[in-house]
Amino acid sequence: MEFDFNSLFAFIIFGVTIGVVYGMVALGISLIYSGLDIVHFAHGEIYMFGAFFGLVLAKDMSIPYPAALIGAMILAGLMGMLIERVFYRRLTRSGGGYTVAGMGMIICGFGMSVALMNVAFLIWGADAEPFSIDLGMPLQIADIYIPQSYLLTAVVSFALMGLLHFFLKYTKIGLAVRAVAQNKDIAYLMGINVPVFISLIFGLACALAAAAGVLIGPMQSVQVEMGYLMLMKAFAAAVVGGFGSLPGALLGGILVGIFENLGAAYISPSHKDIYAFLLLILVLMIRPSGLFGIEAKVKA
Amino acid sequence: MKKGNKIISIFVLAGMILSAASALAGEIRIGITMRMVSENGQKYGQMVMDEIDLINQAGGINGNQIKATLMNDECKSDKGVANANKLIFQNKIHLLIGSTCSSVSLPIVDVTAKAEVPQIIPHSTNGKITQKGSAWVFRVPVSGRYYAGVNAKYVGENIGMKIAYICAADAASQNDCDAMQKQMRMQHGAEPVYVAQVQEKEVDFRTHMQKIKSAGVDGIMVAALAETMARALVQSYEAGIGPDVRRIGSSSASNAPVPKIAGDAVKGVFYAAAYSDADTRPVARLFNEMVRKRYGIHAPDHDFSQAYDLIRIVEIALNNAKVSLTSSSLKADRAAIRDAIAGIRNYQGLASGPISFCSDPSPVCRDGNKTPVLIAYTKGGEQYETEILARVTMPIDFGL
Amino acid sequence: MIGFFTGVEAFFTGLSRIHRLLPWILAYLLLLPLPFLLKFGISEYYVDLANRACLFILLSVGLNIVKGFCGQVTVGHIGLYAIGAVTSALLAINYQLPFWVSAPIAILITGLAGIIVGLPSVRLEGAYLALATLGLGESVRIMIAVTPAFGSSTGIMMIPEPKIGEFIFNSFESYYYLVMTCAIIGIYLSFAILRSSTGRAFQAIREDAIAASVAGINVPFYKLLAFVISALYAGLAGALFAHMPPGYLHHNNFTIIEMVTLLLMVVLGGIGNIWGGVIGAIVVTVIYDQTKDYYFYQPLIFGIIMVVMVVFMPHGIGGVVKQAMIKRKFIENQEESRGSA
Repeated sequence: MEFDFNSLFAFIIFGVTIGVVYGMVALGISLIYSGLDIVHFAHGEIYMFGAFFGLVLAKDMSIPYPAALIGAMILAGLMGMLIERVFYRRLTRSGGGYTVAGMGMIICGFGMSVALMNVAFLIWGADAEPFSIDLGMPLQIADIYIPQSYLLTAVVSFALMGLLHFFLKYTKIGLAVRAVAQNKDIAYLMGINVPVFISLIFGLACALAAAAGVLIGPMQSVQVEMGYLMLMKAFAAAVVGGFGSLPGALLGGILVGIFENLGAAYISPSHKDIYAFLLLILVLMIRPSGLFGIEAKVKA
Repeated sequence: MKKGNKIISIFVLAGMILSAASALAGEIRIGITMRMVSENGQKYGQMVMDEIDLINQAGGINGNQIKATLMNDECKSDKGVANANKLIFQNKIHLLIGSTCSSVSLPIVDVTAKAEVPQIIPHSTNGKITQKGSAWVFRVPVSGRYYAGVNAKYVGENIGMKIAYICAADAASQNDCDAMQKQMRMQHGAEPVYVAQVQEKEVDFRTHMQKIKSAGVDGIMVAALAETMARALVQSYEAGIGPDVRRIGSSSASNAPVPKIAGDAVKGVFYAAAYSDADTRPVARLFNEMVRKRYGIHAPDHDFSQAYDLIRIVEIALNNAKVSLTSSSLKADRAAIRDAIAGIRNYQGLASGPISFCSDPSPVCRDGNKTPVLIAYTKGGEQYETEILARVTMPIDFGL
Repeated sequence: MIGFFTGVEAFFTGLSRIHRLLPWILAYLLLLPLPFLLKFGISEYYVDLANRACLFILLSVGLNIVKGFCGQVTVGHIGLYAIGAVTSALLAINYQLPFWVSAPIAILITGLAGIIVGLPSVRLEGAYLALATLGLGESVRIMIAVTPAFGSSTGIMMIPEPKIGEFIFNSFESYYYLVMTCAIIGIYLSFAILRSSTGRAFQAIREDAIAASVAGINVPFYKLLAFVISALYAGLAGALFAHMPPGYLHHNNFTIIEMVTLLLMVVLGGIGNIWGGVIGAIVVTVIYDQTKDYYFYQPLIFGIIMVVMVVFMPHGIGGVVKQAMIKRKFIENQEESRGSA
C-alpha cells in the first residue's frame, strides 16, 4: 500500500483519542505516586469498577449519562478511600519507597487487583456488557470518522485535567495536597491533617480512573478483565510523562496512544501491546525521569 | 497451638483419603472439564449436569447411575491437563467430556490416548484435534475445516472476491481465518485484500477499519471470540464502512454476546455454525423452549445444542456398551464405551446434520458432524433473531 | 509442632557436621519412595501434583534469590520461565535434540535473557524496576502468543519426553525422580549461594546498596548476577515443564495470573527464606488443587491472603516458624544456663 498522509493523519487522531483515556488513568497513578510514594498496581481494577458503576447507574437505574459519570466517580472515589484506609495505610505507615515494605506494597497491589477482579466477577459475571449511549452521528473530517464518544472523552478529560490543575494550584485544599505530596513530615508540622489528605488524594485518583472507565465504556463495552491492559498502558503513559508529573501523565498517554497506533498500522498489528511496553522500557532505561521532565518527582 | 496443628493435619489427611475413596464401583463415572468463566459457559455446564441428573432420575443407564464431576479449566491448557489427570487417575472416570477450548482439548487428547480413556469433545473446532490420530477421541461439533468450505462457497457466489480479514490470535479464530483464506484461494483463486492479525482481546480496530475502507472491499471476515468480534463489528460501522460491505463471522459469531454487544451492527452478519435457533424442526423448537425456560436465556446457540447432542450420544453409547463396572474392569469398560461411541451411526439430533463415528482413528471417522449451516443475523440486541441461509453436508474428507 | 522442627533441624545440623552433603543425601533418600506412598496411599494423581509442586519449588526458590537475597523487585519471572520452556521445546522439535542437550541450552539462553531482564535494575529501583520487569515479562508472552514459530495460538504440541537410552520419562513416577532431583539440587545450591561470598554481597545490596558499593562490592555486577542465577532456575523449571507429558505449551500458561500465584508462594513462605519458598510452593499447589470445586472464589481468597500476609505477616510462614524456633532455642539456652548455674 502506498503511503498516504490522509491515513497517517487518521492514525494519529485515533492515537490521540485513545491516548487521553490512558492519560486519565495515568493521572491517577501519578497522583497516588506523588501523594503516597507507591505505585498502585490495582488501579486498573478501580477503573473497571468505575466503568461498572457507571453502567449500573446509567442502565439499570436509568440515570442520565453525565450524572452517571459523576456518580461513578464519587462511588469509585469512596471505594478508593476505603481501600486506602483499610489496607494501604498500614503499609505506608511502615514506610513506602524502596524498603522491604515498598516491595510489600507492590505485592499487596497485585493481591488487591486479583481480589477486586474476582469480586467484580462474582457481582457482574465474566461477560462483556454493552454500554450503548446514543450520541448521534460520528464527526466526519475528510474521510475520517470520529465517533462522538471519543470527542466527548477528549473534552471531558481535558476539562477534568483543567479542574484538577485549578484545584491544586489555586485552592487552599489544593495547596495542602501539594504540601503533603512534597513532604509529609513538614506538612504535619504545618498543621495539615496528613492522613485525611492522603485519603483525599487516593479518592481523587480513583475518581479519575472511574471517569476514564465510564467514558470508554460506550466504545469498548464493559468487562471484568478490562482493567489489566489499561493499567499497563497507563503505567507506560505515566512513565513516559515522568512519574509524578500531572501534565506529563496526560501528554504521556497521548504519546503512548499515537505510538501504538502507528506501530499497529505500519509495523505489525498483532504486536500492538508490546509497543507500549517497549516505550515504557526504553524511557525507563534512557531517561527514568520521563521525556518531559516537568515537575517530575523522582526519588532514588 | 501444637494440638490445633495436629488436628488440622488429620483433617487434611482424612479429606484426601475420602476423596480417593469416592472411586467406587457400580456407577458410571463421567468427568467433564470446561471453560466455566463466561455466563453461557456456566449455563451449559449446568445443562450438561441437569441432563445427566434427568437420566439418573429416569432409572439411569441399564440400572446404573451416572456420577458426573464437573471441573473448570478456565481455557488454560495446564489447568485442563491437571483436571484430566485428576479425573482419570483419582476419580477413575470411564469417559471424559471436554474441553470446550481447542487449546485445552489438544493436550488432553494426548493424555486420554495414553491413559486409554474415551474423550468426547463438545465444541472445539480446531482441525488438529482429530488429526493427531488418537483412537480415543470423538468430536461432536463441526470441524473448522467444514465451516471454511461453506463460507468460501457462499462468499464467492454471492458477495465477491475482495475480502479483508481480521483474525484474532486465539486458537479457534486463527484456525477459521487460515482455513477461510485457503478455501477462497482454492475455490475461487482469490487472494486476501488485507489481513490483520490482532490480539486475542483487542479493543481498538479503527486503524484496520481505516485501511480496509481505503482498500475498498466486498466483504470483511472477522474471526475472533465473541466479545472481540462484537467490538470489531461496531467499530467497522463507526469507521464509515457501509452496510453494502458484508461482514462474515467465524463460528463464534453464534455466541449470544455478539448480538448483545454489537446491537444493530450485527444485522446482516453471516457465519457457519452447527445450529440456529431459527431452525423450524419440532425437536429444535422444543429445545429452544426448554433452554429458554430452564436457563432464562433468549435463545440457545450452537454451544448449547452441541452439549445437548453430546449427552444424547453418550446416553446411546452407554446403553449399548457392555460394561461390568467393577473396580477390576475399569480398563475393559473404558474400551467398551469407546467402541460403543464409535458404533454410532446417523444420530439425528439438534445438530444440523446426522452425526456418525467409526472406529478408524482418523479425522474422517472422528469428526462427527459434517453439516455446517449458514446463518445470518436479522436483528441485533438481547432479543436477537437469525435466519438460515443454507445447509450443506460436506464430503467427509473435505479440507484435509 | 515447633519442637518437631527444632528436633529435625538439630538432627540435620548434627549430620552436616559429619559431611555437609549428608543431610541432603538423607533428605533425597527419604523422598525416593514418595511416589509409591502417594500412588498406593491416595492415588496416582498426587504424583502428578508432586511433580508440579517441584516445578513451582524451583521457580519460587529462584525468584527468592533475586527478590529475597538481593532485594530486587521483579515481576517478570514468569517470562523467563516461558523462555526456558519454549526454547527447550523448539530445540527438541525442530532439531531433534535430546532433552539432555536442549534443556541446558534453554537454561543458558534463559540466563542470557535474565541479563536483559536484570539490566533495568542497574539504573532503576523499587517500583520502576517492577514496572520494567513487568513490561518485559508480558512482552515475552505476547511475542509467544503472536509468533507462529513459537506456537502462537495453537501452542507447541508433541514435545518429546526426556529419555536415557530406551528408558523414557513418560510416567508420573519416572518424571517425579527427574523433577524432584532437580528441585533438591536447586534448593541445595540456593543454600550454597546464600552462604557464599556472593550471597553475602547480595544481602549487602538488599540492606543498603550505597553502603555495599562503599564496601567494595560491584553493585551492578552482583545485581545482574542475581537476575542471571534466578533466570537459570526459571529456565530449568521451564524446560522440565515443557517436556512433562503431555508435552504441550501454550502462551496462556504464562500470564500475569501465574506470576501472581508465584508471588503468593514467595510471600506466603516468607521473602528471603529458602524453606519458606519451598513451603509456599507446596502449600499453594496443594490448596489450589484441593479447592478446585470453589474456583469462583479462588482468586478472591488468594488475593486476600496476599494482602493480609503483606500487611500482618510480612515474613510469611517461614518467618513465623523461624521466629518460634529462635524463641524456643533462647528459652532452652536460658534454662540450660540456669540449670548449670
